[in-house]
Parts: sequence; C-alpha cells; structure tokens
Amino acid sequence: MNLKVYWPFTENELKRNLAYKGSFYLFMLCSCFGAFISYYLWMAIYGSSSTGVLGGFTKNEMVIYIFMTYITSNIAGVSIADYIDDDVREGTVAMSLIKPIDYRMSLIAKAFGTMLYRFFAPSLFVWIGLEVYKVTVLHMSITSVTYILLYLLSLILSCLIGLLLDFCFGMMAFVTTYMFGLNMAKEALMAFLTGQLIPISFFPGVLQKIFEFLPFSSMVYTPVMLYLGKYSGREIGFVFARQLIWVVLLYAFGSFLWKRITKRLIVLGG
Amino acid sequence: MKVNNIIEVKNVSKEFVSPKKYPGLKGAIKGLFSNEKVRKLAVDDISFSIAEGEIVGYIGSNGAGKSTTIKMMTGILTPSKGECLIQNIDPSKERKKNAQNIGVVFGQRTQLWWDLPLSESYTILKEIYGVSDEEYKERIEFLNEVLDLDEFFTRPVRNLSLGQRMRADLGAALLHNPKVLYLDEPTIGLDLIVKDKIRQAIKDINEKYHTTVILTTHDIGDIEELCNRIIIIDDGKKIYDGTLENLKEKYGTMRKVTMEVKRGSKVEKLDLSALLSVPKDAYRIEEDNGNITVSFDKNKLRVSDVIEQFMKHMEVSDIKIQETELSEIVKAIYEHGI
Repeated sequence: MNLKVYWPFTENELKRNLAYKGSFYLFMLCSCFGAFISYYLWMAIYGSSSTGVLGGFTKNEMVIYIFMTYITSNIAGVSIADYIDDDVREGTVAMSLIKPIDYRMSLIAKAFGTMLYRFFAPSLFVWIGLEVYKVTVLHMSITSVTYILLYLLSLILSCLIGLLLDFCFGMMAFVTTYMFGLNMAKEALMAFLTGQLIPISFFPGVLQKIFEFLPFSSMVYTPVMLYLGKYSGREIGFVFARQLIWVVLLYAFGSFLWKRITKRLIVLGG
Repeated sequence: MKVNNIIEVKNVSKEFVSPKKYPGLKGAIKGLFSNEKVRKLAVDDISFSIAEGEIVGYIGSNGAGKSTTIKMMTGILTPSKGECLIQNIDPSKERKKNAQNIGVVFGQRTQLWWDLPLSESYTILKEIYGVSDEEYKERIEFLNEVLDLDEFFTRPVRNLSLGQRMRADLGAALLHNPKVLYLDEPTIGLDLIVKDKIRQAIKDINEKYHTTVILTTHDIGDIEELCNRIIIIDDGKKIYDGTLENLKEKYGTMRKVTMEVKRGSKVEKLDLSALLSVPKDAYRIEEDNGNITVSFDKNKLRVSDVIEQFMKHMEVSDIKIQETELSEIVKAIYEHGI
C-alpha cells in the first residue's frame, strides 16, 4: 500500500481546520469548560474527604489526570463515524469508491489531519501550561522524559484504536443511513468507558476488570496512567500488548464489516 | 476477427430492500415497531457486452435503473445476481483494481476537492492514480486543448460555474487515461455552448485514446451526436439494444409532408387513396390556413408519390418533409414500451 497516496487527505483536512478557525475554538472552549467543571468538582470532593487519597489518586495526581484526559480524549476521539455519516447521507461515498483507494485508509488519513492540528492547538499549550502549574503551584517535579515518551507512544496506539473502533461504529451509518442519535449515545457511553469522566480505578472491582478489558480504556485511561507513572515495569509491557492486540482485532473486524456492508450498500441520491 | 469485448454484463439484477414506511405521524410511529420490508427490483436481469472504442448511450426514463447499472459496473454497488466484467475484472470483488482502469463523471456530483484549487485536486488525483510526470504533462496539455481548463485552473472548485465544474470533472476522470469512461448525465443543466464543448471533448478522447464511453443522458442531442449504439432500459429491463439508425428505421417510419398551396385549391376533392390505390387510413391530411400536412408511414406510401399527386392537382409553392424525431420515438417507447 502506497501511503503517499493518502497524504493529500491529511493535508487537506489540516487546511480545512485552519480555514474554519472559529468553529474550532468554540469547540475547544466548550470542551475546556467541561474539563474545568470536573476540576472544581473533584477539588470539592477531595476537600470534603478525610483521606487525601481517593481511588488511588492524590489530589495533585487528579489535577493532572483531569487535564491529561482532556488532551488525550480530544486527540484520540476524532470521529471517523461523522465523516462516514456525512458521506452516506450526501452520497459522496460513491465518489470515494470510484477511486483506486482504500476507503478506510482515506478516512484515517483525513482524521489524522485533525489529530495533528489538535495536538498542536491547543493540546500542546494546555500540556505545557499543566507542567508549569505542576512545578510552580503544586511544587512537584516535572514529568520525566521516559513517562512522556511512554505516553506519546501509547497515544499513537490510542489514536489507532479510536479510529478503527469508530470506523466499525460508523459502518452503522450504511444500515441506518442517519445516525445523529446513535452518535450522541456513543459519546455519552465513551465518556464513561474511556475513563474520561471518572478514573476507571473508582469503579467496583468487577466493573473495573470488565472496563479494562474493553478497548475503550486503552484509548484514554491507559496513556494517562502511563503518564502518571502508575504502572510497574511488567504492567507497562502488559498494557502496551493489550493496546496492540486491540489495534489488530479492530482492524480485522473493520475489514470484515466493510466487506459485509459493501455487499448491501445503498448509495443515496442519484 | 474476434471482437474484443471490454465490458461484459451477464444477467445482472439489483434488488433494494428498505423498511416499509407508513404515511403521517401515526404511520411514523407504527414504522418504529413494524418489521415489514419493501423490495424493489431496480435492475432486472440485464445483459449486454460492449466492444473497445464504442460510445454507447444508455437511456431510460427517470428511475429506470440506469444509474444503478452504472454503479454496479463501477464497483460502487454489488449486484444481487449475475456479474459484470470490466476487462475481465469483477468490480464487486476487485474494486480498486477496476477503479484504476475507469473514469467516472456523475453529472450531479463532483469528485474534486471542494475547497482546493482545481490544480491541486488534479495533483492529488495524479498521486492517487500513480500518473507519471511526463504522462501528466501530456494529458493536461490535451485536456486543456479540448476543455479549456486554463481559464479556471487555479480557482477553488467551489467558485466554479456549473459548466466549468463539469469540464473540470470530465478532465479529472481522464487524467489517468482510463480504458472505460462512464458518464452519468454529463450535460445536465449546461448551456448549449458548454454542451457542445463537452460533446466535442468526448468525441476527441474517443478518437485519440480509443476510450470506451458509456453515457446515460436525457438529452437526445447527446445521443444523436455521440452514440453509435444505444441501449434502452425501462423499469429495470433492457428493451432495446442496437444502432441509432436501426431504431429510427424500425420505429421512426412516420413522415410528415407539409405543403403550402395556393388559396382556393380544392384539397378535399383530391382522393389520395384512389389515386395511389391505398386504404384510406394509410394517411392523414390536415389543412390549416393554406398549409396542408400529410402524415403517413413511409413503408406504405412513398414521399415522392404523395408530392407528385399534389403537384399535379394544385399549385404548390413550398414543401417541407419531416422525419420522426428521435425524441418522439424515445418518448413513445417510454410511454408504451416497444
């Protein structure tokens, strides 16, 4: 597969993001708002608790968790299903299918453009701001290079899991031909299962085991926990293996779905 | 000599299944709980083959199944039954391999990138299809000649007029020199000059590169100018497949002779059936303000005989002979079948 062919999709999406700055910043502001709400909420919870550690998190760790989760889910949560939904509803999927390209790859390349953009604006700045805050206000030492590298490596796998999973989900657009409602339900469920809303370590033991087994936790929870240095050497190997396995499985499942769906494809309009 | 068939469509059918819809709000609620399905056979057992270098008009009324057939041949839809082979490739199994050999223009859509200048869209397509630099240069030169792309080559696609966009789309479909070109209503909504340009371009491409062209259209002018063969489908079934002349020969045998005669000529006294010894219902005469129109089947009466009789019996100052127009033939076929 010639990857160079897909670069224009990424480039084009980057350009598009730069062109529609207004909507992007509004979106960022709104989700930033969410991060601050959960920040104040957690601070209140810690304030009224008698012990300084909740669910294995100190108060300071929770601050980092909240904002790193915000960054991670913003990047890894770029929705391919939205692209598919648009393509199906407007019938533009036909225009992709007449070209000698892989539809999934072209979508991933497109989403990658948005991911790149979100990584630099505003994630990188929030991240730097967080580190500065950590050193000056919380009086902690700066995160070590090892943890940063582990986080970045895990983030790449997170993004892949997110994209491949969302592709499978997006296939439903071909069946229902309109999935606004489904998308809303997905967002809500994801906030829970990825650990974006509450760290997975807060759930009861059985649920924790189930959530950790599902691909969602590998999307957000895993990289952030790596960043916090919550895993031991052996566990690090294990969580990476789990991420890799999910990438392979979701890739295979997506290919399978795509084959089935194209058989019964209905292209709307014209 | 064996004819080289580039396209083989064998007993292809396509059935669409959709949930049954009921009218009104009550119906919408009922629809939530019902599991009834509606089946529609859009294409019903169609077969044909097309030789390399042919320009084939694929026509039929709205909803007859034209676009569905094109979509199956391009690999967008998978046939429910039967198979299409394009250069011995089954597009439903090897879509990407097939896509490399074909160019497609859907008149109602664009395959160009809306926000990018046309030149950039072309560069992307060059990468996607793996066109070499020399080939690209040569192709652009040729396309420029036939489509005048220069005047808007650096403008974003969203700023192009419909005529420009259609030319741009046609150019985009031809960048990689496809063996087969599918055109789904390529002249829809265009003015006469652009239409002419597009038709001329299609002709030039067919001549220069020997590209096989399949074209669906509602514009009879497209067919008369371009196609040496037409396939007509109606309600999913193929009802005619042959040359344009043949169709006209077979169904377009009516002739209309209009003559301007001197006032006071006694037309009603002229008894054509007696003079030419044919039954009375073989022709129809209408008179309107000194203009006489005789309609008849040219296989039953000869045009020259009719005119001769009139010239003999009255003073004729002008004569006009009309053949049945293709549009009338096609209209009759859509309405009554063959």
